[in-house]
Amino acid sequence: MTLARLRRQSIGYALIAPAMITVVVFLLIPIVLSAYWSFTDYNGVRPPTWVGLDNYTTLLTSPRFQRSIWNTIAFVVLGMGLGPPLGLATALLLNRAMRFRGVFRVAFFLPVMTSLVVVATIWKMLYNENGLINEILRLFSLPGHNWLSDPNTALPAIVVASVWQGFGFETVVFLAALGGIPRDYYDAARVDGAGRWALFRHVTLPGLRPTILFIYIIGIIGSFQVFDQIFVMTQGGPVNATRTMVFDLYDKFNSLHLGEASAVAYILFVILATLSWIQFRFFGERD
Amino acid sequence: MSRWTQPAVALAAVALVVSACGGAASPAPATQAPVTAPPASGAVESPAASLDTTPVTITVWDYYGEATPIKPAIEGFQKEYPWITVKYEALDWDSMNEKFAVGVAAGAAPDVATLDMTWIPTLASNGVLEDLSTVSGGMLNGAPIAEQYNAGADEAMRYDGAYVTMLFDFDAYALYYRADLFEKKGIAVPKSWDELRAAAKTLAEDTNGDGKPDKSLYQVWPDTFHYSQFLFQNGGAILTEDLAAAAFNSQEGVSALEFNTSFIDDGSGIYWGPDQGDQMAGFKDGTLAMFQNGPYMMGVLKSGAPEMAGMWKVATAPFSKQPGSYLGGTGLGIPVAAAHKDAAWLFVSYMLRPEQQIGVYTYAGAAPATNAALDSPELTKADPYFGGEAPFGIFLDAMKTATHFPYVQSWAEIQTPTMDDAVAATLLGQGSAKDALDAAAEETNALLKK
Repeated sequence: MTLARLRRQSIGYALIAPAMITVVVFLLIPIVLSAYWSFTDYNGVRPPTWVGLDNYTTLLTSPRFQRSIWNTIAFVVLGMGLGPPLGLATALLLNRAMRFRGVFRVAFFLPVMTSLVVVATIWKMLYNENGLINEILRLFSLPGHNWLSDPNTALPAIVVASVWQGFGFETVVFLAALGGIPRDYYDAARVDGAGRWALFRHVTLPGLRPTILFIYIIGIIGSFQVFDQIFVMTQGGPVNATRTMVFDLYDKFNSLHLGEASAVAYILFVILATLSWIQFRFFGERD
Repeated sequence: MSRWTQPAVALAAVALVVSACGGAASPAPATQAPVTAPPASGAVESPAASLDTTPVTITVWDYYGEATPIKPAIEGFQKEYPWITVKYEALDWDSMNEKFAVGVAAGAAPDVATLDMTWIPTLASNGVLEDLSTVSGGMLNGAPIAEQYNAGADEAMRYDGAYVTMLFDFDAYALYYRADLFEKKGIAVPKSWDELRAAAKTLAEDTNGDGKPDKSLYQVWPDTFHYSQFLFQNGGAILTEDLAAAAFNSQEGVSALEFNTSFIDDGSGIYWGPDQGDQMAGFKDGTLAMFQNGPYMMGVLKSGAPEMAGMWKVATAPFSKQPGSYLGGTGLGIPVAAAHKDAAWLFVSYMLRPEQQIGVYTYAGAAPATNAALDSPELTKADPYFGGEAPFGIFLDAMKTATHFPYVQSWAEIQTPTMDDAVAATLLGQGSAKDALDAAAEETNALLKK
């Protein structure tokens, strides 16, 4: 019996071994190593030297890194403030019986399937001084604007491009979730005299609760890691206006400050873990 | 895939070399060889006879792009050194910047790489680059290295006295201007800062009637390369002589940045930020009529805007107190983790022979770096694209008075974002030049103390 069990177990272990080895080699070991490096002065070539909390204090007291944190938060707040509501609104529209529904679904989802670098490049061209956006403005005798060179508009401009690229995903997820809300609830509410707003407020929204939680957790984690658009469109400029935490990490990595880069990664990890915990704790409890 | 196979290949190759040649670390005999003759079998007296001819494969990473002079030279190299196989990999500039140091750290380094001279301070101070003084024995193609470059270039290739790279092409700035527009408007080629501003003002045109010039503008880059040109011309320096503190916030530095900003203030210049897109479009649609840049732009213009032949010319950069420019370019480097350093050095030496160096000009339109190539009549031929003039000599003169960026460990961060931000902030009107440079100087001093 024990032998048979052992054999059965060993087959199981053999089957999961490739996945386990991959996780250990490419995930766990780098996580542990970078945790160690975050307390060292390390350039990747010479052996790391222990510096305690120096990397963390240097980062957290640096005005540039503080700016990166605030920019990242602004990006998350703006992106999450616009993206999911837009996705939900689109899903509600597409959820009705209408012609060309399939076409619209594909159209909204298409940017999600497009590489972020491609999307960023296209939007950079749209924002160009002589790009489509400024040309349209000029058509209405409005002055054009240097969207990406103006520190006040650069970050919002990147948010708009990012929301455009991403909200199709939210649309599709919300659409699927809308289909999962039993029609009986709506019928019962209508019998009780509920109007459109009351139906949305008391049936649709509660029915979407787990989906909204999912969208926000995934969205916030993704938004905190914003990099591609920044790299392609502004390189963190003008004057740090679009510098984000992951861009900072990349910069430190590039200048061979692997210790500080690891510390940035851990600061980001702590922020994300805390936010996810808060979301689950306060919004996910009843589900 | 190559990323993962490289370490294995490197490991296998190391094992091969170790087993085959044991302690063949002494570079001196090998370095003498490539200059004189190919290693003919039986040529007992030839230095080539002392070369280890165990078959090896060296990996070369090159960011030069399509017009690279390196790739076409490989065939000749392999013919001369038949036991060396060259595995050539093209990377773009950004990828090289990201991958090189990481590759060295991860043991997946190439044997030779083209490196931007502005990366050298960071790479050298972090111990990423092989000491070429040792590998070469101080000799390049049969003559002392120091004799084959001018003094400024020779200094730029050294870190702590040792050679860490060999300059392959150089970059120093001169003024590119639309000669046809200058003639049309009767503008003389500017020689001083005042004349440059006056020329920019006369050139600039408001074609859409919004009161702001939009055509024939002077290109203003928000970067340290262009700012340092004005800084050096104004008698300033980036750091103090002992490299211990920032010096760019001196009076010379402040007025240099104010001068840079003056083109934006009076509308004769255009802030070349991310909204402007490809500068080639700016040249073609007439937005840009003047810019300062290095010799590689000759090739860029000729290949990107052949229809503009005869419109552009090059002049010595106008200056205030003295000629000046940043000195950069491309260096050939061998990483410390290279598996076949001797073979890599043979490759570097081959690429620095006069015929290959002239290829830098003929293939890429860039400026070769060795004296032998610079003396070549090929480079001083009249060029119909630039109005029948020979602009190369202008860059050569610029190189002689150019200054390389300081070789300090934190240079990468001092340049970007610290100094770049000060320049951009001033150009965007976020404060005075003095305040921006003082803030950047404070940050620089903290970085230098690290």
